[in-house]
Amino acid sequence: MHHANHFYGHAHVLARYAGLGDGHPPRINGYVQHGWNIGDGLAPGHPYAERTPSLLWSEQTRRRAWSVGRRNVAVIGAPFAYLLAMRPDDPPAEQREGTIWYPFHGWEGQHVHGDHKKLIALIRETEPGPVTVCLYWHEYGMRTVRRLYENAGFRVICHGYRGHWWKNTDPYFLDKQLIELRRHRRVASNRLTSAIFYGIAAGCEPAVYGDPMVLANEDPTFGGTARIRRQWPELHGPAVDLPTAAAIARDELGLDHRCTPAELRELLGWANLQEEPVDD
Amino acid sequence: MTTETAPADRIVLPGGEMLAWSDLPEGRAVTTGTLAALAATVVPAGASVLVAGPHDPALLDRLAHAEVTCLLRGYPDGVTLAARAARVVVGGPTGLADGELFDVVIAGAGLDTVESVEGARLGWGGVLARLTRALRPGGTLLLWLENPMGLRRFVDTDAWYARRDDTAWSISGVLDTDHPANREQLDVRLAEAGLRPRGCFAAYTDAGARALIDADELTRGTTSGLFDAVLHDACANGFATTVLQDPARLAVDALHAGLGSALAPGWVVVAAKEPAAGPADDVPPAALPVALLETGPGGDVLEVVADPQGWRWRATATDRSATPAAPFATREAAHRDLAALDGRPVPEGRLLRTLLLDAALRRDLDGLRRLLRGYAAWLTGQAGPDGQLGGAVALATVDNVLVADGGYTLLDPSWQATSPLSPEVVLARGLRRFATTLVTGGYAHPWPSALDVAGLTVVLAGVAGHDLDRATVTAAVDIEAAVTAAVRGLDNEGRGVLLSELRSVEPTDPPAGTRSFQQLREAWLRQREELSRLTALLKWTEELLTSRERALRRAEVTLNLLNGSVSYRVGKLAITPARLARRGARAAKRRLRDALATKPQERQ
Repeated sequence: MHHANHFYGHAHVLARYAGLGDGHPPRINGYVQHGWNIGDGLAPGHPYAERTPSLLWSEQTRRRAWSVGRRNVAVIGAPFAYLLAMRPDDPPAEQREGTIWYPFHGWEGQHVHGDHKKLIALIRETEPGPVTVCLYWHEYGMRTVRRLYENAGFRVICHGYRGHWWKNTDPYFLDKQLIELRRHRRVASNRLTSAIFYGIAAGCEPAVYGDPMVLANEDPTFGGTARIRRQWPELHGPAVDLPTAAAIARDELGLDHRCTPAELRELLGWANLQEEPVDD
Repeated sequence: MTTETAPADRIVLPGGEMLAWSDLPEGRAVTTGTLAALAATVVPAGASVLVAGPHDPALLDRLAHAEVTCLLRGYPDGVTLAARAARVVVGGPTGLADGELFDVVIAGAGLDTVESVEGARLGWGGVLARLTRALRPGGTLLLWLENPMGLRRFVDTDAWYARRDDTAWSISGVLDTDHPANREQLDVRLAEAGLRPRGCFAAYTDAGARALIDADELTRGTTSGLFDAVLHDACANGFATTVLQDPARLAVDALHAGLGSALAPGWVVVAAKEPAAGPADDVPPAALPVALLETGPGGDVLEVVADPQGWRWRATATDRSATPAAPFATREAAHRDLAALDGRPVPEGRLLRTLLLDAALRRDLDGLRRLLRGYAAWLTGQAGPDGQLGGAVALATVDNVLVADGGYTLLDPSWQATSPLSPEVVLARGLRRFATTLVTGGYAHPWPSALDVAGLTVVLAGVAGHDLDRATVTAAVDIEAAVTAAVRGLDNEGRGVLLSELRSVEPTDPPAGTRSFQQLREAWLRQREELSRLTALLKWTEELLTSRERALRRAEVTLNLLNGSVSYRVGKLAITPARLARRGARAAKRRLRDALATKPQERQ
């Protein structure tokens, strides 16, 4: 099992959906795409064994992965799609208010360049209601950054730790995210990211605006933010057309490619488990 | 001057581009001379042209009289072509701006290569609809379509449904009803899109076709020597290095069955969009040629055009052939004079090679004798006062000679011998070429398998009424290497390799060039048969040797028996003095002769 399969508790969500309960998920025979991306679905820089199955979110990502030489690529949809299937109305999204705003983050090894203060001013100017800012755990832990958003009068939260090398994975990361998304009317970010698509799928109106905060040493192989803006212009701006956004999110999260539990068990190599269950 | 640094302002990125993807092969020019020539014919001066999908840069060079917009999916290709086009749009077909109209749309690499991995899939029909929408009323579409049941399907070692290459993220084959799979389906789809076909060409062998032939003429002209030679040449060189069966044989057979177009690897169609309501255009569109053929090392495009008197050659020399000749060019055994061909009528008749193969297969010795004698007589009848053959006829081989009503003509007389050759050598070269085709191709024929290629050449010459010796055949091999090297544009090293290959060819070898499983198996069967023959011969020889040894031993026993008898010993004793006397007399005679010799120096 590749450790990235555990990021954000993805393996845990899939195991729950596959009927294996809340325990430690068994090894997955393949790499589950762990975030929306504009490349081959795998994280650049991670070591991968060639021809081990890539289990991707969308058909478009599968085509792209094939075109760059990946084989054994299959579409199963995003783990978030499985969470939506398990919790279609839990909690009920009756009291939606304000905006949940995701300032773009890098992962631990990356450093974001950009001006948080300018972004805060723009958010205040644009967002009509109360704002919840969801920081990546790395930035949430940086007191100065957190203070900046708190002082602006925003509610500052963090969905949890995505985990690293199987350690400290929060198996309910996605659940927490879904609960938060369903509390808000809008979802926004300065970059088109997984969170925006999750938000759209959870019924939020999306918005993407502000300085995209380029990463130091950002890998330009797949075109970076410039390409994202070219390819999905419909999703950029302080207000976007909701039906269009919902259709795109449906494709990008592969909601129509969601497997049945038995199908998923076969694809993930969970049909004939030899391992003893391990408590997490 | 063109540079690799693209003028950035010419590249438009509307989204959906593939940033690291290239469809243009690296370091190798795609041969799209025929398509470029056809495109130049259908594009009027000053027209706005959309070139959709990857095309050879040379095609854009031929459209210098028009304003060209390229639509590509791979960004690196956009950078490569940007210097040659007014504008390059890199993205999927949806990247075209709405409302933008073109006089001509060229999709010479098909519609599948227009689609990017990014964005929603439009499919073949969707891309056709989008490109048609970009065509102004009355405009022209030039489109290549792969034939899923074409020749390629029959010779490919890889199954079409198991492709593993990076372009195979989606495989659109014959099962996809959105993809037209024959000419009729194509016509229906074009009509549905509001397009009227002006002409359809069978494209051999792929999108970068070496030959484009009017599909209807190809279907009708089942015995045309021109089509026979053209299809054979295009297929002999136009496929992968390993195939299932000989594509050239298959193409010529398809031609004879009236399936030359139906089994073509693809088609190029020229279609016109319905004009807007109102008075029709006064300017009739340019007439389309009957055929466009890419020939020679320079990629010269020869056209066959129809006029009231019949078909004529039209020669367009490319820039490449206009470059100054290399220093060694003066020593080339053959050179090409395209100007001499321009405007000459295209002769009619059947190809001599095909007639000879047919006669050999039917074991029609009378027919073979008639054809070969006619060929030899036609050659020798054109010798000059010095008895030598010069010019084009000196290169007349069975694959470039047509036979009609018993008369012989050169199909393409543009290649000329640099220095005159003896008719015997010319005949030997022509016959050796045919002999090589016959035996390495595995054709059945009326002669014994024990003949080698030179032997069969001498036999064929005998049938033609000429008593050739092997030395002439050897001289013909040298000429063959030199002429072929000139025709293919080989350097000295390539010519040396070719010569050694030609010299060493054996009847049990498969044909040179593309390796086909069927012909390799045939070669193996011939080797096995030859091995059986030699084994049987060896066994027979062994048995004969054994029986002779046995007879010898019997004779020796008899001799020994006789040596030991009393009568033998008495006899031997009796004649001994006589034997000694004769020996002494001989010695005395020799000494006397030496003493009487007139030239003492010779004794030294």
